[in-house]
Amino acid sequence: MALRMWASSTANALKLSSSTSKSHLLPAFSISRCFSSVLEGLKYATSHEWVKHDGSVATIGITDHAQDHLGEVVFVELPEEKSSVSKEKNFGAVESVKATSEILSPISGEVIEVNTKLTDSPGLINSSPYEDGWMIKVKPSNPAELETLMGSKEYTKFCEEEDAAH
Amino acid sequence: MIMDDLQKMRSPRTLEVWKLGTVNYLKSLKLEDKLVSDRKANRIPDTLLSLQHPPTYTLGKRRTDHNLLIPEAELKGLGAELHYTQRGGDITFHGPHHAILYPIISLRSIGIGARNYVETLERSMIEFASVYRVKARAGHKGETGVWVGDRKIGAIGVRISSGITSHGLAFNIDPDLKYFEHIVPCGIADKEVTSLRRETDTMLLHSEEMMMLCGRKILHSFWTTRRRSIKTNSPSGLTRFNPV
Repeated sequence: MALRMWASSTANALKLSSSTSKSHLLPAFSISRCFSSVLEGLKYATSHEWVKHDGSVATIGITDHAQDHLGEVVFVELPEEKSSVSKEKNFGAVESVKATSEILSPISGEVIEVNTKLTDSPGLINSSPYEDGWMIKVKPSNPAELETLMGSKEYTKFCEEEDAAH
Repeated sequence: MIMDDLQKMRSPRTLEVWKLGTVNYLKSLKLEDKLVSDRKANRIPDTLLSLQHPPTYTLGKRRTDHNLLIPEAELKGLGAELHYTQRGGDITFHGPHHAILYPIISLRSIGIGARNYVETLERSMIEFASVYRVKARAGHKGETGVWVGDRKIGAIGVRISSGITSHGLAFNIDPDLKYFEHIVPCGIADKEVTSLRRETDTMLLHSEEMMMLCGRKILHSFWTTRRRSIKTNSPSGLTRFNPV
């Protein structure tokens, strides 16, 4: 137990965050105890999905922590465009290591675009969970829901606590 | 706060085991759905179903029915059923002398994801096989399951819904392997299917006893590292799910 606490505080001390980044192309990120990356500027659900809110469009995917715990994704099931998604309700599924895992939507809204590249390249979720591995774009029906989600620091701590508790 | 954490780690969790005998596939699906919902609402503890199915072919979410090599109508002639499911994995067969274990557990409450869960199921089957001096191994990448050499002895197909698992694993104790000739098992061509009967000279116990031994081995492998207590029962509430 003591060792785990030491490891946790060491990881915290080593946590990197990019402030004035040399390259404006690199998104700011931090490394959590579980060594998954967490992007700043996104919102996070306790079920390990992320949301990027850009004006009237919200892009949704699963986090680096989630893809690492899933293993190699071999199949992705996504909703149709114009269908609706609801907060904390399942909108799709991924299959990895003979397990299908449901993906829950962090917010409610209408699906306006779906990442069709994932049909032929489901592994994008593993290799690029925050960029090329995005899953759906949604027009939020209740923007206030975004405020109930976690920020990057909160989510990083959440992951650490979840992993440390077991 | 440190003491709270220590307490949480020490307190054993309960795993309730239901010994169901032979159960029709659709009935077991209905039971699983109900238990997943109950587990999600914390009305029940983590639960493990131990059972066998009458001859049944099942497909996973990807609906890979191109791996069924005969028409569905012919399956009925063999006395088998076919079902499409939401689990991961490809086509497989379940029948008598096939040990089936369906853990209905909350992965969130033990803090592991799909990959670790499946790896633990694989390890459990490997440990069970070793009791009979059969050296099994986990599958290579993309071949999840348990193998003896190039022959598959244990299969996995899992569904995770809001962090609760259903479906699970199937271990070939002594099934009629001829049923596998009508499919490309698990979508992997050119690989054989085998059974404990084929791989060991050690005398196998009577089928029911083997099932429970397999179940217990898997339980111990999976749960004792997490300081769980194990309760085995056949709750009377099950009488409304009449086995075949």
